Amino acid sequence: MHFHTIPLLIAQMATPDDIVREAARLRHNYEFLSYGLTVAWVILAIYVLLMVSRERKLKREIASLKAMLEDRQK
Amino acid sequence: MKEKIVYGLGAIAMLILVRDINVIAGLPEEMQQGAIFKIIFFHVPMAITAMIAAAVALVASVLFLITKNFRFDSLAVGVTEVGLAFLAGNLVTGSIWGHVIWGEWWAWDARLTSALVCWILYAAYLMLRGAVEEPTQRATFAAVWSIFSFIDVPIVIFSIKWWRTQHPQPVFWGGGSFPPDWTKVFLWQMLAMVLLACVMTVVRVGQEDAQRELDSLRRTAHAM
Repeated sequence: MHFHTIPLLIAQMATPDDIVREAARLRHNYEFLSYGLTVAWVILAIYVLLMVSRERKLKREIASLKAMLEDRQK
Repeated sequence: MKEKIVYGLGAIAMLILVRDINVIAGLPEEMQQGAIFKIIFFHVPMAITAMIAAAVALVASVLFLITKNFRFDSLAVGVTEVGLAFLAGNLVTGSIWGHVIWGEWWAWDARLTSALVCWILYAAYLMLRGAVEEPTQRATFAAVWSIFSFIDVPIVIFSIKWWRTQHPQPVFWGGGSFPPDWTKVFLWQMLAMVLLACVMTVVRVGQEDAQRELDSLRRTAHAM
């Protein structure tokens, strides 16, 4: 018997339970991979949104202060 | 014009990241860990980006203390905040990876603990800035704190060499290797993350300059 036939024999010995268990393990792996990628994206997206809101607030405040100073100078 | 270039670069970084999701999904599963191993394409580039950000913050802080030029203070705060976001991503993706492979969300080993301490130190940097009113004093205290915080960065990087940790040795420079097509995707991810961090830092530095303009306008308004 050649050694390369051993994995083939083992594969043939896999029971339906083994296949179900392996499928569950794969599903679990993909599920958590998707959680990981989603979290990485969400963290960056939240930070970008915070920066956008800060930018708007700063522009608004600068514009209103400039307008107030111009009014006072008149 | 400058704004257009910055946002253009940001869009390119986002396009690379979105394209890579498709590429990563098409890669074969790693032999021992399965699909979850692919989280490395986010976990490691985020860590490296955060460490680069910490190094830039250190240089900017030292330059501020030497020159007292507030542009360096703006750069330090901008890059620290961006680095903190990336380090948060690194910690969370690492925790998810650990949950699948180790069966636990967190292990108090040297790498994970020093990385968490690093995040807390840089978060404290931002809190310190919020607590000091006077601009020169605020920038000086923050620069000193940033230099002190950087001591933890080499500990984070070399902890897996210095101590026995649950965290594995790195794939690169740690005896492991990637197939060439995986290396290519990893380098694209690395480029996209660093580019995105640069764009975020430029925008954040601009905001810090705007904040200084606002403070100056407020002082003028008070004086009138």
